[in-house]
Amino acid sequence: MSQMLSLLARITEPRVYVALVALSLLVIVPALNGSPFVVHIFVTICVFAALSTAWNIVGGYAGQLSLGHTMFYGLGAYTTAMLIQHFGLSPWIGMWGGAVVSIIVAMVIGYPCFRLRGPFFSLATIAFLEVIRLLFIHFHGVTGGSAGLIVPLKLGWAWMIFQDKFNYLIIAFGLLLLTIAVSAAIRHSRLGYYLTAVREREDAASAAGVNNTRAKLAAVAISAGLTSFVGSFHAMYMTFLEPATMFSLTTAVEIAMYALIGGLGTVFGPLLGALFVVPIAEAARGWLGASANGLHGFVYGVVLVLITITLPGGLVGTLGERFNRLVDRLPGARPRADRMAPALKQITGTPGETVLETKNLTMKFGGLTATDNVSVDLKRGEILGIIGPNGAGKTTLFNQMSGFLTPSAGTVTVRGRDGVMSSPTSADAFARLGVGRTFQIVQPFGKLTVVENIMIGAFLHHRGVEDARAAALRVAKLVGLENLKDVEARNLPIGDLKRLEVARTLATEPEILLLDEVMAGQSQSDTQKMVGIIRAIRDTGVSVIAIEHNMQAIMSLSDRIVVIDSGKVIAEGDPQKVVRDRRVIEAYLGEDFADAQGL
Amino acid sequence: MDVFVQLILNGIMLGSMYAIIAVGLTLIFGIVRVVNFAHGEFLMIGMYAVYLLSKHFGLHPYVSAVPVIVLLFVVGALVQRFIIQKLLNADEHIQIFATVGLSTALINLALIVFGADLYSVESPAVRQSIAMGPFTVLVGHLVIFACAIALVAGLHTFMQTTPLGRAIRATAQNRNAAMLMGVRVERIYIISFGLGAACVGLASALIMPIYPVSPTIGTYFVLTAFVVVVLGGMRSMVGAFFGAMIIGIVDSLSGYYIAPDLKEVVYFAIFLAILIFKPTGLFGFGRGTE
Repeated sequence: MSQMLSLLARITEPRVYVALVALSLLVIVPALNGSPFVVHIFVTICVFAALSTAWNIVGGYAGQLSLGHTMFYGLGAYTTAMLIQHFGLSPWIGMWGGAVVSIIVAMVIGYPCFRLRGPFFSLATIAFLEVIRLLFIHFHGVTGGSAGLIVPLKLGWAWMIFQDKFNYLIIAFGLLLLTIAVSAAIRHSRLGYYLTAVREREDAASAAGVNNTRAKLAAVAISAGLTSFVGSFHAMYMTFLEPATMFSLTTAVEIAMYALIGGLGTVFGPLLGALFVVPIAEAARGWLGASANGLHGFVYGVVLVLITITLPGGLVGTLGERFNRLVDRLPGARPRADRMAPALKQITGTPGETVLETKNLTMKFGGLTATDNVSVDLKRGEILGIIGPNGAGKTTLFNQMSGFLTPSAGTVTVRGRDGVMSSPTSADAFARLGVGRTFQIVQPFGKLTVVENIMIGAFLHHRGVEDARAAALRVAKLVGLENLKDVEARNLPIGDLKRLEVARTLATEPEILLLDEVMAGQSQSDTQKMVGIIRAIRDTGVSVIAIEHNMQAIMSLSDRIVVIDSGKVIAEGDPQKVVRDRRVIEAYLGEDFADAQGL
Repeated sequence: MDVFVQLILNGIMLGSMYAIIAVGLTLIFGIVRVVNFAHGEFLMIGMYAVYLLSKHFGLHPYVSAVPVIVLLFVVGALVQRFIIQKLLNADEHIQIFATVGLSTALINLALIVFGADLYSVESPAVRQSIAMGPFTVLVGHLVIFACAIALVAGLHTFMQTTPLGRAIRATAQNRNAAMLMGVRVERIYIISFGLGAACVGLASALIMPIYPVSPTIGTYFVLTAFVVVVLGGMRSMVGAFFGAMIIGIVDSLSGYYIAPDLKEVVYFAIFLAILIFKPTGLFGFGRGTE
């Protein structure tokens, strides 16, 4: 809601007023022309644009390609029609009933299906759509079955059925505005950023504290509710419902197609797609009649294939930037001032108390024991180095310390901000408790800019976009990325990516930081920068565990070192003492070398 | 009891049909790693081709299997070469859109060319039933059953023993490593996609005497074939074969004992349960969530 108000406040900005003027043409053009056929085409455009915009929240923002979205459209339509038939309820009330039914169905279906990836998610949504369609046909006593259901004809605004078709256009346009407003609000909110993060990299998103399933469920619930509204209206417009058209796979594909043609994951893409394709199809249907049977579908299919090959970014993705720059030249543009959050307060707490502790951690993968009875503790304010040869089980240990793996045996306990020790069970729960981690193989959100990447972490403690941005800028400055803040992450070299990895984690404002080989493969100067950054982080009171192969760096950084080999802790203590330990030298360089050194 | 055994028998016959289609789908998914949403439309193309060959040249569907298999191989190879190949490195959803778009285009092309009418090929010999004790099966179904077994056995031997089969398996397991070993990956993909489509060519010749063809026939069969593929663990042809048998039997039993119009609900429910709770397939041959 507050976002919609802020949209209203920004009405003098060119991007906003240009969009509103362009949208109003959807009503003005048919009002001037007046022919029922033109009005019908514009109603259809508004309906499909609204459906596609709603779909885009799940299919575009969250990247979950639902091909069963007409189930919500059909459920909205049927619920509304049946509430009129059996209870005499006005469709204005019935549409809320439809939305509730759709949202419940969406959550029930979404919860298990969101575990599926790519085509399997799409297949599952198709299967659910088919099941619902078949059930609607089977229980014909309630639904009218294949024969269909006729909406009781009562005229007037209360019943949403009119003789003057223009009234339909007003409602359809209103629904379109509503979906676009909701979609735009999501795009520029925490949820929108979270959905993009989840779409790009699920693991990195949960490390930044995002509850992936909850974000996707929120998206599908909103999308289903909006889709259902449009279905309710369309039922009143068509006044006849049958399972084959209301739960149609073909229509579900068309809805997704408009979004792809216009630009997946963009606010106005779906509308542009519908605007581009619907008139061609409707005109063909109107002018050629039955002889064009199949023609519009054929055109849809061919356009779809061609778009995937030539313009996978869609119209907005390909031309949007250029268009925006043109619009920004119009009067009224306000430059955006960047605000930077002040430095964080020093973390308090008893220095030296245990903040993270693992007890007898054992992780088995089939016959391989990756960590074997590992007990490690981290004291407040220290830098603990973990070293060991490749394959020793260091990253597996990290994965258990941050909730990405559930140990086969043993426990991980963490001291929360309230001082209580507890054992969280999921990666995002670890993040919320104050454990931040980086990944050995960097996991940037490639299509987000540097500052947006960091914002994903910052959202954990700053709900508002502007606050998160300010916090992200503070972190960007701390790690030396402020000059690159608007560069897309996929264009960064490895040194900057490593710093970005640290920055995103730091933005979650952790009390415990787990760094997985942040200096590996870096140049000398990058390594020095990183050592400086880690020291600066520790000085704010953060306790750090660092896995590292760069001996010189880790020896100078660490207060204490733990050596792991073949999944076991083989040495622990002061850095200078550990390097002279015979077992450590053996583990790294072999027995012969240790013998030759006379140890 | 007799009814039950007859139903099982019917189920196995029906399952063989799904098996042939699903094996093709498995080949394409297992090797090219693309879920071909247009697979059913390949079947439709094959069936119309069989119909036309029968109408204009009087060929028996079983005879036209040979040219139709070749035709479908070419169609599959062309689709791979000119559409999928360009999208191999694209986002997954772009690949889905491409094959969904192809499917939509082909269905509607058929609608334009042939209209919505059903066409069938009369072949009384195929529709004759053979008595096996108290039970009966159609000759055509028996042929399909034999072909399904021969196809799975043949493809399995081909993959395991020939150099090309080995190259295909290597490509399926790791595209880049295969490329480094000198395998021409693009060509392997074209051949694999063609083989997957050719399986459907065989299926269309076998199915045509029993089912009439219409533009949407593919959707009907392929949704079931997807269920089979998931059940079989996505990558395994043997898994697909047994998955098809199970779905055939479920189809036959639930059609009789529950309700004919709900049998799809039953196996879609199985499909969803497998996808969600056991994504490696019923026999643990594959990995569904990858």
